This record gives sequence, structure tokens and C-alpha cells, in this order.
Amino acid sequence: MLKTALAGLRAHRLRLLLTALAITLGVGFIAGTFVLNDTVEAGFAQRVTADAGKVAVAVLPGQADGVLPEEVLERVRAVPGVSEAQGLVRGAAPVLGKNGKTFGNAPTTALSVISGPLDRTDVVAGTGPGTDDGAAVLDENTARAQGFRLGDTISVLDAKQAAHSFKLVGLIDTGVDQMLAYTGAVGFTPATAQRMTGAKGYAEIDVAGSGAGLKQAVAAAVGGSYTVKTGAELADDLAKAAGVETRMFTLGLLMFGLVAMLVAALVIYNTFNILVAQRTREMALLRCIGATRGQVFGSILLESSVVGLLASVLGLLTGYGLAALTLTVLASLDAPLPTDAAIALTPATTGIGLAVGLVVTVGAALLPARSATRVPPIAALRSQPEEQTFRTGLVRGGFAALFLVAGLGTTAAGVFVMQAGEPVSLFVVMAGGALTFLAVLILGPVLVRPLSALVGWIPRRLFGVPGRLAVDNSGRNPRRAATTTVALTIGVTLMTLISVVTASTRLTMTAKLDEQFPVDYLLASQQQEAVVPRSVAEELRGRPELSSVAQIREVRAAVAGQRLDVGTFSGHVEPYVVSGSMRGLGAGQAALDRATAGRLGVRVGDAVALRTKRAGTVSLKVVALLDGNETSLPPVTVAERAFESYFGAVPDSRVMVTIKDGVAEERARAVVDAAAAPYPMVQVSSSTEVRGQFDETLDMLLMIITGLLGLAILISLLGIANTLSLSVHERTRESALLRALGLTRPQLRRMLSVEALVLGLIGALVGVVLGVAFGWAAMRAMLDGARFSVPLGQIALFVVLSGAAGVLAAVLPARRAARASIVGSLATG
Amino acid sequence: MTLTETRRQAPPAVVATDLTKVYGQGDTRVHALRGVNVSFATGAFTAIMGPSGSGKSTLMHCLAGLDAATSGTVHIGDVELTGLSDRQLTLLRRERIGFIFQAFNLLPTLTAEQNIRLPLDISARQADQQLFDRVIETVGLKDRLSHRPTELSGGQQQRVAVARALISKPQVIFADEPTGNLDSRSGAEVLSFLRTSVRELGQTIVMVTHDPMAASYADRVVFLRDGELVTEVTAPTPQTVLDTLVRLEA
Repeated sequence: MLKTALAGLRAHRLRLLLTALAITLGVGFIAGTFVLNDTVEAGFAQRVTADAGKVAVAVLPGQADGVLPEEVLERVRAVPGVSEAQGLVRGAAPVLGKNGKTFGNAPTTALSVISGPLDRTDVVAGTGPGTDDGAAVLDENTARAQGFRLGDTISVLDAKQAAHSFKLVGLIDTGVDQMLAYTGAVGFTPATAQRMTGAKGYAEIDVAGSGAGLKQAVAAAVGGSYTVKTGAELADDLAKAAGVETRMFTLGLLMFGLVAMLVAALVIYNTFNILVAQRTREMALLRCIGATRGQVFGSILLESSVVGLLASVLGLLTGYGLAALTLTVLASLDAPLPTDAAIALTPATTGIGLAVGLVVTVGAALLPARSATRVPPIAALRSQPEEQTFRTGLVRGGFAALFLVAGLGTTAAGVFVMQAGEPVSLFVVMAGGALTFLAVLILGPVLVRPLSALVGWIPRRLFGVPGRLAVDNSGRNPRRAATTTVALTIGVTLMTLISVVTASTRLTMTAKLDEQFPVDYLLASQQQEAVVPRSVAEELRGRPELSSVAQIREVRAAVAGQRLDVGTFSGHVEPYVVSGSMRGLGAGQAALDRATAGRLGVRVGDAVALRTKRAGTVSLKVVALLDGNETSLPPVTVAERAFESYFGAVPDSRVMVTIKDGVAEERARAVVDAAAAPYPMVQVSSSTEVRGQFDETLDMLLMIITGLLGLAILISLLGIANTLSLSVHERTRESALLRALGLTRPQLRRMLSVEALVLGLIGALVGVVLGVAFGWAAMRAMLDGARFSVPLGQIALFVVLSGAAGVLAAVLPARRAARASIVGSLATG
Repeated sequence: MTLTETRRQAPPAVVATDLTKVYGQGDTRVHALRGVNVSFATGAFTAIMGPSGSGKSTLMHCLAGLDAATSGTVHIGDVELTGLSDRQLTLLRRERIGFIFQAFNLLPTLTAEQNIRLPLDISARQADQQLFDRVIETVGLKDRLSHRPTELSGGQQQRVAVARALISKPQVIFADEPTGNLDSRSGAEVLSFLRTSVRELGQTIVMVTHDPMAASYADRVVFLRDGELVTEVTAPTPQTVLDTLVRLEA
């Protein structure tokens, strides 16, 4: 029996090739993801290990944003066995770009660069600052982005926002520190670093030394309120922190791998089903000469395991190649990831890759194998395979109805009943989507005929007899056609869903920017701290080019025991009152945003305690609740004068400016820029810029997701090609008959192309309907007040591409069918 | 002149000259046809007989342009088949030749009527409605037209195939063991339809068979052995055909 199975495999190796390819691609993607993850993590580990070798013991603050005072350093230095101890300074010190303004969304992080054996700075060009207090080093990326070169003079703001000039003497690599990769880094001598950041202590104390129990000795010296770690422990922590993002990324990629494997499973299921149907007589003959049902079952499973295993091994190699390619691309893009570690196919990756490939293949072949055991021995004697008939069973109908009701019900609950914007609503909608998809999967064979009649309407009329025959053929074996198209449907559904969600998000956000943010320019610092001098707004108010200028001031303060942003406003800001009233907001009164009020458990009319700087603790009566999604007012808003009496003359956090009608944008921009120019911290952003950035981000996201889903689509196309070539094989005699009756070769090819076109369009159509419906549901669940937009152009493109891809998938099978000799084909079977 | 006389004077529908067909190369060479010269009269029902492996199917395939001969020529009417491209051959089959095979004659997705009209549809010709009605009447399929092949008996399926072959008024119909899969009653029915269509519609039919009873429906039987035409019998009866076969086998 083993021999029979292997002989069968050899005989069908061409037919199984496409199946194997589906598995290879899926496993390749998953294995590649793991290889990438492993390599990047190994890279992180390598770097931190190299660094950690220099440090025997490190002392860290007990709390996240705490510091280590000078006297702790002194105490560490006094510990016997410590040969050297150095404090590291770390804090914000915004570097100014060539336009004299801060750049990026966060201030640059300043570091102290120490000299001696504990120096962990990786200088890649020039030198470190050494002992020169007027020298500085920058990280490579910042230097490149801002156009600084060695020898340039750079300006850096100190803690009091005064600018200081430094000579750029070196460039550094920030290594695995994700925080530094985000903010950028500027390095000074320890003394300068302390002066610039205004830090009251060290962020870390590194200790070199030897002797057993050094860690314990240092820990005893610094006392219990600080954390003491060995170099190795520190390295571990750093590597773990760096790896968190990599793992999130890996998890995201694996989701796409999962979709690809699901599609591959459908393709395999279909292939084995068709192979079993075609080999009915072979199976029956085996049964006639004494093979048991178990042996027939076993032979199919054996066949599938060999295919699964071979394909998975190829998949592992593909994955290795994919990972290597990705790393090369990442390296050339200067991604903040270590790409230089040796690419490794770990035993775990190998195991997972093989297991996934094998389990999916064998699992998908189980049902076909079972149907193979049902072939009665007498079937060997029948001259012609029976045309598969399909009737809508009661069980099928029942299950489909059950899943449909459950799916739509769950979705409706997520959309209409649950609170929009809560993650749980989205999960409920997703679950509803999955259930509905199952219903469609079950209903597939029933839907195929009407759908093929629908999408075949035009080809039927356009392509004459070949078209008519093609449309009939596409609906001929509904079960097979359904499985083939569902594979494509998965990809198209997800693509449509993503494009609907993206388009809707874009529309919603644009609308929000337009309606609720009727400002043209926003003046604020990187972190929106209270640093915009009030004179800026006052100067702008006097300008005829502008129609309105509004100021917002905020401080962090304790409200009912929680630290919240408390603020006020000056000028017109739309409050979006949900309940109560903002009218005549006065001393002792406050407006809260709805979410904050919910968290504090207060309503209109209740009172909350606010700890102020100047007036002690005051009681505020809540007079209004605001819609926090809409208004730009602070979570806790009090009247302007009251705010002043509580916190003093705080500078503005944000100044919002609108252009007067009829004034050219460039002129207004020049006015605003001029007002902000003296203050390096104050960045001017325009709503068009913000929208542009937002659009870019969305487009990028859409592109990446589409690319990743492309794999699933590719696999489903393999499925169409596979089904078609197997069907062509099955219909060899039919094609020969048509050729004998006068169908030309091009007509026969066209017939098969049209059949593939119809299959592709059915898959795409179902996918588009599901994608649009669940895109809408997801939008409703994700965002309160979301607007819905269907990107018709994109969706039409998906449909056209699916059809075209189907035709493409038919090229080879159609060629083979057209080439076959008529006489030879008539004789077979 | 009577119909029969007209036919005798008309040029033959199919002529094969020095037809040879060789399969394989070197040691595995098989001569399926060794210089066959034969012509088939217009408006006549001719049967090709011979033992298994005598080359009768190969001859039919070469005559019908389904297979290319190694050497020699075939004429269908005034058209020489040798040297025609696949496309020209396809168009020729479409316009001038009808086929009836032993099995699998019909497309399972089409109804009986669609199957019958298929050759016309493929070549985008209009059916001669009178001819259609007459053919349907002759083969007795009036109430079966909307059925699909799976809903028809074997005999009915072959009758649909006969109707399909007749409907495009081809110059010649090639029938390859048309009764091979049928019980004797259905077989006899199909054969009498073929004979009727020759007598009444003036159709030319060439039929390959190994059944002496079937061959006896023809006007003339030609016998093949080892790829050569050895003898022929006109106005055959089952007995004369059988006797000739027995003599050939000896």
C-alpha cells in the first residue's frame, strides 16, 4: 500500500506541484517571520552583551523617572573592590534645526559621554566630546536628517530654553535603545550634560570592579531605595525592552501568515478532493483487489504528508531567503534594528515551520481521504465517472442559517448596542464577521450557480459559444467552485475591509479636522508644554491677516486625587457641551470632558477638589460635561481668571489661529512664522500639513497591509490555477469532442479563460460585499461618530484585478488543453 | 433521373490516395496504414470493417482530419486535407464534417437541444428550422429536447448525437462504433436512423464498426487488415459480412 501511494505521488507530481507551492509560500512566510524575529533579537542581544561586558554592576533609580543623587555615586565609589564608578546623565535638551526651531515630535535626549573603561558610547565618525565642554556628538540619523556635518556648530536649548552653541565633533550610533532612536541623541561631557538638562542626579551609575559579591556590596552601600543589577542582568533587561516591539511586529506578521495558511488549506482541500474524485476508479480497483477502507484512507494521508513535508522544507528555505532579503532591505533603509547578526534557522523555527505545513496539509486532506474510503469497489467497473450532483441539504441549510443569524446578530450587537470606540465592540464585530464568513463558506456551493449566472451575464453574450460553455462549466461543480473562490474571497474581503476602513477613517478625520478644528495654524511645543509666551498670541491678535486667535493653557494638577490636565482658554474655542452649560463659567466652577467625569464618577452639579499652587485646595462645582473627542479644551476646564488665581501667569500651551477670508495662505503663514520665530520651542503646524502627514501615514499603512495580503491572494490564485488544470484534465474528452465539432484552439483557450474569469469575479464579488459590510461595521464599532466611505475606485480595481488574475491563472491549463491531440484525448478514459 | 442515379454521377465525397500512417520511431515503428486507396460515394452509407488492430479507426481519424497521415492525400469534396493548418482543419470539420462517437458524444452541461445545435452555434450559423423539425421528428426526440444527457438513456443519447451530426448538413458524417455501447434494440434504432438519413436526406455516412449486424445496414462494406484495404462487399447482409470476416481472419 505504501508503494501504491508513493507511485501515485510520482504519477501526479505535476498536479501536486501547485498544491505544494501554496504550502511552501505559507510556510515560507511564517518561517521567514520567525527567522527575522530571531535574527533581530540575536542582534539586540549581541550588542547589549558587548556593552554589558564593560559594566560589572549598575545602579538604577527605584522609580521610573527618579534620579540617583551625587552622594549615592560617592558611596558607590567608596565600596571596596570598585575600581571605577561613573554616573550617567540623561534628559531632554532639544537640538535646534538649521531653521532655528526644534524638530520632531519629542525633544532630543541629551546624554553624558564619559571616558575610560566604562564608556559605552559607539562613536562611528569623529571623536567623543572628551573633556571639551564646548563639544557635542549627535546620533547619525539626526545629523543626516537635519543636514549637520562634523565641524558644524549646533544649537541646543537648555532646561530654561536658552540656546547654547556647540561644535559637532562626532557621530554616534544609538544602538538598541528604542527611546533614543525615536527622540534622537546629543552627547556632551558629563558636566555640560548636567548643565544642559538641569538634571538633579544621574539616570544610572555604572560600576567597574571585581571580586565576588560586588553586587551585594554595592547594594548594601546604596540602600534599599535603588535597584542594583549585574552587567548581565542589565543586558538582559535592555534586550527584552528592545525586543518588545520586535515581538509585536512579529505577531502582526504572523496574523498575515495565518490568513495565508488558511487560504493554503482551502487550496489543498480542494486539490485532494479533485484528485480523489478523479481517481475513483483507481480507488475502486484497489478495493476490488482487497484493500481495506483504512488502507485507502492511509494512502491518501500518506500522500498528503509527503507533499506537506516536502513543501514545508522548501518553505523553510523560502523563509530563510525572505528573511535575508528583508534584512538587506531594512539595512539599506537604515531601520533602527540590528541587521548584522548571523541569519539563523533555529530548531524552533524549523520545528514550527514543518509542523504548521504538515498539520495544515494533512488536516486539509482528511475529509477528501474520508470520501475516498466511501468509493464502492463496483465503481471500478463503471465506464465513465458520474457527473457530480449537488443538492442543498437540510443540514447545510440549517447550519448556514445558524451561523448567519449568529454572525449577523453578533455584528449588529457590536455595532448598535455596544459603546462605539471601546475595543470590545470591535472584537465583537470581528467575531460576528468570522461567524458570517463561516456561513458564507457553508452556503458557498449554493451561491455559486446564481452568482455565476450573474457575473457570467456579460461574458455569455460577449464570447459566443465558448463564453456560454464557460459560464455553464463554472457553476458545474458548485462545491469545487465554491472552495476555489472562497480562497480568493478571503483575500478580497480583507483588502476591501482595509480599504473601506482606511477611506472612512480618512473621511472621518478630515471632517473632524474641518468641523471641530476650524484652525489653520497651531502653535505649540513638541510636547505641548506651557512654553508659548502670551505675547505671541497678543501680537497675532493685532494682525489684520488673521480672523481669530485662541489660547489654551494647561497644567498638571491633582483633581479628586488624580493627576489630570487642568486648563483654561482665552478667545473662542467651541466647547461641545454634552450636558449642563458653559455659560458664565466663573470661579469655583469647572467643565469636565465626559470620559474624565466618568473616570472620576462625577456628574453635573457634583463638586471635585482641585489642589492648586497658589490657592490651596479649592472645590470646583461641575457645571458642564464636554465631548472630549470633539473639543480641544482641556479635560478639566476652569475660567481664565480663576485659573490665574490658582496657578499664576502660566504661558500658553497652544495657540490656535484662523486666517481671515481672502487672505493668501502664504502671507498669513509668514505672519505666524514671524511671531513664533524668536521662540525655538514653538513649532508652527498647519492643518494642511497635519492632514498631509495623516494621509501619508494612512496610505503607507494601506500599502503595507495590501502587500502582506497579497500573499494570500497569490496562494488563492494558485488554487484557481490548480482547480482549473484538474478540471481541464477531467474534461479531456469533452474538450476533444468540442474540438472535433469545430471549436478552434483559440476558442477552447478562451472558454477556459472565461471560466477562470467568472470564478475570479465570483470570489471578488462575495469578498467585496463582505468587505464593505464589515468595513462599515468595524468603523461603527471603532469610532464614535464615524463617517462611512466606500473607495469605489479601489474596490473596482480589486474586482478587475481578481478577474484578470483568474484569467492569468488559466493561461497554462488552457494552453495544455488546447494543445492536446483530439484523437489521443478521445481515446482516454 | 432518380435520386440514386444523381448520386452515382456525383463526385465521391471522400477520397484517400496512398494513405500511410506510421506511429513511433526505430524499433517501435508501427505501420497502422500501408498505402490505402479508397473513395466514398456521395449519398452512400459505407461501413469500414476489420479485425482489432487492422487500422480502421486510424483510417477514419485521418479521413476526418482529426489525425495527420504520414503520407498520401485525403480529399473531402474538392478540399485536400494534407497541409491544412490546425485552424483550417477545424473550420473544415465545422463546415463539412459530422461526428458520432461510441461514447461521450454530448456535453453534460447542455440540454439535448443545445447539444444538437452546438455545431451551428460554434460556427455562428442559423439552424434550418425545417430541417431541425424534420431531424427531431426522425430521431423521435421531440419531448426530450430540454433534458440533459444524464436524464437520457444510452439510446436516446446516441440519437441526440445523430441529430447533432445531421443538423449542420455536413458533406460527410463519420461514425465511430456508434452502437458499440448500446443494447441491440437501441442499436438497431440508431442504425435505421442513419440509413434513413442517407436514403431520404441524401446524407453521406462513413461508419467504423466491428459488428456484422451494424455493417449490414450500409450500402457497401470495405474491409481492412493490417493497414491495407483487402476487399469490399456491396449490398451486404449480416451473413455475407460475417463470411468475409471469417475468411480474412483465416
